[in-house]
Amino acid sequence: MDLFSGTISNLDKALNYSATKQKVISQNIANVDTPNYKAKDVSFKAAFNEALGESLITNRTNVRHFAFDKTNHSSSTIMTKNQVSYNESGNSVDIDQEMTDLATNQIYNNALIERISGKFSSLQNVIRGGK
Amino acid sequence: MSIFHSMNTTASALTAQRLRMDIVSSNMANADTTRAKLVDGEWVPYRRKTVVMEPKESQFSSLLQVAMNTSRDQEVGSGVKVTNILEDETPYELVYDPEHPDANEEGYVQMPNVDPLREMVDLMSATRSYEANVTVLNASKNMLMKALEIGK
Amino acid sequence: MNHVTFSPVSSQFNIQKVEAKPLTPSEAQKSFSSFLKDSIEKVNETQIQSDTLTEKLALGQEVDLHEVMIASQKASVTMQLTLEIRNKAVEAYQEMMRMQV
Repeated sequence: MDLFSGTISNLDKALNYSATKQKVISQNIANVDTPNYKAKDVSFKAAFNEALGESLITNRTNVRHFAFDKTNHSSSTIMTKNQVSYNESGNSVDIDQEMTDLATNQIYNNALIERISGKFSSLQNVIRGGK
Repeated sequence: MSIFHSMNTTASALTAQRLRMDIVSSNMANADTTRAKLVDGEWVPYRRKTVVMEPKESQFSSLLQVAMNTSRDQEVGSGVKVTNILEDETPYELVYDPEHPDANEEGYVQMPNVDPLREMVDLMSATRSYEANVTVLNASKNMLMKALEIGK
Repeated sequence: MNHVTFSPVSSQFNIQKVEAKPLTPSEAQKSFSSFLKDSIEKVNETQIQSDTLTEKLALGQEVDLHEVMIASQKASVTMQLTLEIRNKAVEAYQEMMRMQV
């Protein structure tokens, strides 16, 4: 019997993604004036493929093949943003995009926390039998 | 990488921008200083200073944790730091002023290579970056405070 | 014109019918007691996990705040559930003892 499967574990993974995104955004905004700094980003899909159970079953015939196994702990990948333009000092941070992402991430995080608190309190309610 | 990692990153950025502002105010204050240093018995005017900023590398502890696979994320980096304060090598401005005590034989005075307009633009840029980082700090703090309310 | 075909959903998944075997009373007792033991172990595990994460938080090590909060909530809810189950079991036993023969 698993009390916490499904929505609560998905919310947990989503909170992990949101925390990583916050770190990446603060790193980008801190380096808005650093020459030759390339903006970083967190990949959304990689964090959620495991949650949606879409991992492939693959045969590895060569040790250099990637391993798609479910035992990888869900790490959102941090990668450099491409398709961005650089200013003349080689810096690729778009401050407006970063501030927007910051606000979005705030709201996302608050919503997730509200939902997970709601799930926990409804579990507690049920356990207490409505008293 | 503790829970305050992103706040430490932002703190480093605030320090760097404040240092940049200090350099700008030093440049502006010395925009007319013709006798800044004594070099070989001659007075040399003030040279404009600039900062060199570089991304701060991750701390050893977080790299160790990533290598040992106890950390969930790859390393993000821990902010920015000012590695060097360089002097601008552009040549001094020559201003014709024969009455000046530091004028050379032709009546030209070497003035510092400080351009007030450029310094003002730098100052505005540093201010905006500082404000953006303050917003990020508040956002991170709010997220942590909200996380404390899970289950309340 | 494109033809749209529908295939029944059940052919995509392998749905197996699970046969329910009727249990004898002794088997039911054993399975309930092992279930109880399992759940008490799980409660212990969640408590230990919550303690580990709290220690990491206190020592400033690698942990996320929401992880700590969620783990502590999970431990608290699991503990509450076990307590309520115990209460209900004790109530049921007392109810049984009150029966007049």
